[in-house]
This record gives sequence, C-alpha cells and structure tokens, in this order.
Amino acid sequence: MTAKSHDRVQVVDAERQLINWLGLGLFAFLGVVAVVPLFLIISDVYIKGIDAINSLGGLWVFLTELPPTPYDESGGIGPMLVGTLYMTALGALLGIAVGFPLGVYIGEMRKEKFANVARAGVNVLVEFPTIVVGLFVYAVMSLAKEDLNRYMLGPLSNAISSLGEWTPRFIGPLDNVISLLGEWIPWFIGPLDGFNAYAGAVALTLIMIPYVALITASAYASVEQPLREAAYATAGREFNALFVVLRKAVSRAVLTAALLGTAKIAGETAPLLFTAFGNFYYAPFTGPTGAVPLWIWYAAQTPYDVQIVSAYGAAAVLLTIILTIFIIARIRG
Amino acid sequence: MLGFLLIVLLIPYLIAAYALLLVKLKWGLKQFGALIVAIIGLLTAMFFVEAYPIIERDGLAVFLEVRWDPVRESYGVLQALTGTILTSAVAIALAMPMALGVAVTINEILPARLRGIFGSLVDLTATMPTVIFGLWGLFVLGPFLQDAVNFVSRSLVGDDVMTSPYTLFTAGVLLAIMITPYAAAVIREGYALVPKPVEEAIYAMGATKFEAALIKLRYARNYILGGFFLALGRAMGETVAVAMVVGGNFSRFTTNIFESGITISSLIALQFPNAAAYQYMVPALFAGALLLTLFGLAINAVAIYIIQRGQI
Repeated sequence: MTAKSHDRVQVVDAERQLINWLGLGLFAFLGVVAVVPLFLIISDVYIKGIDAINSLGGLWVFLTELPPTPYDESGGIGPMLVGTLYMTALGALLGIAVGFPLGVYIGEMRKEKFANVARAGVNVLVEFPTIVVGLFVYAVMSLAKEDLNRYMLGPLSNAISSLGEWTPRFIGPLDNVISLLGEWIPWFIGPLDGFNAYAGAVALTLIMIPYVALITASAYASVEQPLREAAYATAGREFNALFVVLRKAVSRAVLTAALLGTAKIAGETAPLLFTAFGNFYYAPFTGPTGAVPLWIWYAAQTPYDVQIVSAYGAAAVLLTIILTIFIIARIRG
Repeated sequence: MLGFLLIVLLIPYLIAAYALLLVKLKWGLKQFGALIVAIIGLLTAMFFVEAYPIIERDGLAVFLEVRWDPVRESYGVLQALTGTILTSAVAIALAMPMALGVAVTINEILPARLRGIFGSLVDLTATMPTVIFGLWGLFVLGPFLQDAVNFVSRSLVGDDVMTSPYTLFTAGVLLAIMITPYAAAVIREGYALVPKPVEEAIYAMGATKFEAALIKLRYARNYILGGFFLALGRAMGETVAVAMVVGGNFSRFTTNIFESGITISSLIALQFPNAAAYQYMVPALFAGALLLTLFGLAINAVAIYIIQRGQI
C-alpha cells in the first residue's frame, strides 16, 4: 500500500467516523426529544397541582369535598374520585374476564382460521378511536334504556324495596342492618338514566379487552413447545393445561397487562363523555357519574381561576394513581 | 326492544361461554373470539343506522361540504375532515423521526442497563392520560408555540403568523408527542427481529454503528411502515387533547395550519352535548363517527397487512 492511498483511507475513515457520530447524535437527540415532554408534563402537573391542593384546603378536603363553584375558595374532587375508582374497577374486572380467555384463544389456537379473524378484530379494536367506543355504548344505551328499565330494573328495584319493608317482620333485631342496606342498594341498583356509571364501565371495558388480550396472547405464544407438551401431559384436560399449569408460566405478563390496562382506562376521558357524562355531586351510580378526567376536561376549559386550579389538583391526583399502578407493573413485571 | 335483547342476552352469553370452557375448551374460547368480531360489526352497523337520517337527506354532501349551521339544520364536515388530515400530517411528520430516534437510541446507543429505563419512559408516555396532555397543551405548549412560531415568522416574514395559541399546528405538535410511543413500539419490535447473523455480517463489513443502524432500519422497513399507519390511526382518532388545543372553529374552512380549526373527533366531543336540541345534529355527528370508524378500519387493515407480510 502506497503512502498516498493510505492517507486517503485515513481521510475516508475520519469522514465516516464524523458521519457516524453526527448520525448517532441525531438519533439520540430525536430519541431524547420524544421523552423530554414527559418530564415537562409531570413536573408542570406536580408543581401547579400541589400548590392547587394546598390552596383549595389541603389533601383531605381536596380528596373528599365537592368541586368548587366559581365563587368558592375551597373544594375538591370527592365525587369524581369515587366515580373513577368505581368505573375503573368494574371496567378492569370485566376487561380481564373477557380479555384473558380471548387472549388465550388468539395466542394458543393460531392455526384456526377464525382465531386469525379474531386477532385482526382485536388489533382493530386496540387502535379504535376511544370516542367512537363511547358513542357506540351511548347509542346502545339509548336504544336499550327504556325497555331495560321497564322489564328488568324497575321490577327488580321494586322487589328490593319491598323486601326491605317485609324482612323486619321476620328478623326484628337486624332491623338496622336491613334498613341500612335498603338505603345503600339504590345507589348501585335501580332504573338507569341515559347516562350512568355502568355505561361508562362498559365503555372502559371495551378499551381494556384488547390490551389484556394482546399481551396475554403474546405471552401464551412465547411459551416453549416442550413446556406446553409437559403441561398437556400432566394436566389431564386441555382446560387444566391452559388455565392452571401454563397460567403459572404466563402469570407475570398477564398481571402486567392487567395493571397497565387499568392505568390506561383510569385516565380515559373520551369514552366517558357520553356514557358517564360527569356529575358534581355524590350521586347514585345509576345516574350521571363524575370522573376525575371528566372534571379536568371540564374545569380546564372554564374561565374561572378556582376551577382551573382545581383541574391541576385533579391532574396531580390522577397522575399519582397512574404512576403508582405503572411502577407496580414495572417492578412486578 | 332490540337493544334490550342485546344487553339482556349478553350476560347469559358470557356465562355460557365460561361454562363451555369447561365442557369443550376450544368451543368456549371461540365464543370470546366471536364476541369481539360481533362487537366490531355491530359498532359499524350501529353508526350506519344512526347516521342514516342525514345521509338520506343530504347524501354524501354531508362529507363534502363546509357548513356547520345548527340553526338552519345544515351540516357538513369537510372542514373537520381537512382539520383531521392536517393535524395528522403535522403529527406524523414530527413523530416518525422521533420514533426512529427512540428505536435506535434504545437498541444501539444506550448501555444495556439504561435501556429498560428509557423504554419504560417511552411506555409511560403512552400510558399518560390524554386529558393531562390536553391540560399541558392548553396552558404551557400552546402559549410557548405561539411565541416560538411568531419569533421565527417575525424574522422571516416580518409578521405574526400565529394569532392564537390554539391552532391546528398546536394540536399537531401535541399529537406528535402522544403518538411517538406507539410508532416506536412497532419499530422497536421490528428492529429487535433483525437476525443475529445479519447483524454480524453488517459489522464484519466494517460498518460503523450509524451505518449498521441505517441498514437494520432498512431491514425493518415493513415495521416502520406498519408503525406509520398505526400512529396515523391514533392521530386521527385522538379526541380530548386535540379538542382542548385545536381552537374549536366549527364552521370556517381553513388549510392554514396556523389558524384555529377543528377535527372530526373534537367536533363530536365539543358539539355532542348540545346536539339533542337539533333534529339532524346527532345523525350528523354519527356520520362523523362513521367516517372515523371507516378510516380506522382501513388504516388498521393496511397496517396489519404490512406487518404480517413482513413476518412471513
């Protein structure tokens, strides 16, 4: 190799090194830019949110009181927090109850033609605009509400209330317990309004199902063949093989899926807009129900400072709930 | 009556499906698959039915005209359609480079210990409630973008181009931040699937890390395209955050991204609460939802097709 060509090789190498560093730097810059807003948002929410909670009367008041009207100086998100917890819990339970077997189906029965159709359906549903899901539940609800109340829920709540009248004759000393039950049952069961917590929970369920199903499916699909054969050999029945033996192998992934899905639906707003609708007071779940994201959405757009401040407080509470679930999922998963 | 039967039969259906799991597993599992397919079919059919009154009255004009005048009962959603396309275009143009950056950063640049943490941060961005993005966009990002854009435009054009903090551009930037993790997840998946021998061959040729990254990205191009379409679907359907920063300009047609506008999903979110007062507004909004659904189905079909073609 002559000295000249050796020089050229070095020049080319230096050039490539330069391009290498510049290119990698560009990729790293873009990657960092993608996560910087996360820190900006979290710090913004907590800085303004903690101030907001303190100025509105402290943490306990903020978590239990009614939201501030424009003329109030203190207030909280009590009704919304209850609504969010109730709807999220119901939605998550139903979502796991349907999403898990669905995930097993599309993960284990990949050779079936219909399983592929179902997989495509799940993939479509996970990407669906959440507001469309909310509108769908609203449409079904408005179709079904009247008949549902007339034929089922009306008679049911009548039966329950007459039960409350009759039982004291037979079990006298339990009077107080029964009447207490009689007071609480109408908060959960009764004729439904057009907007109610159960419609909200169903909308959240529809959003949760595909999350759980997809992660369950990929967990079952990644079980190694020898392990699967061993499971079938020891379990006796296919049901036991898939749901008892192999469940141990995939439980981590499924738990992570359930937690992440719960975190996701706890913060959803769009599907609740036309299903739970929102409420500023503690009210039965059979009627319009408040939710923390709905309050943030409403209060942030009002012109009143005290409500905007409470929106930031609510955002801090919501973010804390979601961060907690997320961190638990990451540590366990 | 139909809706009543639907809801009442759903509970026995689920119980029967669980019971079938114990009797004959495969049949029971199939019921859950059928349920999900039925829901999607029902959803599309439901929107057709609900939107039918306005489609019968105006035909396809409801999608092709610019009007939003509830008092005269005349509705057209073209301005919302262009708004959706413009915000999605801005969002995708900003999000795709960031998603590529995330994929390369995680797989090539970061030391193994930090990869998990960085990946978690990206996942957390996807899990964050959209309404919190909206809150941030409303009070921080919108005013900041207005200052930044006007600062640039004053030196270039000599005039302020962004007269309000809440514009299609603001919505697009906010969307870009929100959809990056979804695109990045698909691209990361494809990037990780580059076979080890191929990777070794790349380095054996004396490639630098950057050159290797480019070759691997080319190898995963199906996933990049799939991620592109999935992110596009997210951008088109996102509602709450967009509705908070897009400006809520229902009736005026604009193709200037620095003006306030509207998207289909935010039109539904902002107008639905008072829609019941008008005869044809609910069907008009359901027509918008139908459009979103059909877009969603089409985009997802393309994305799934592209990714699956890459796998085989």
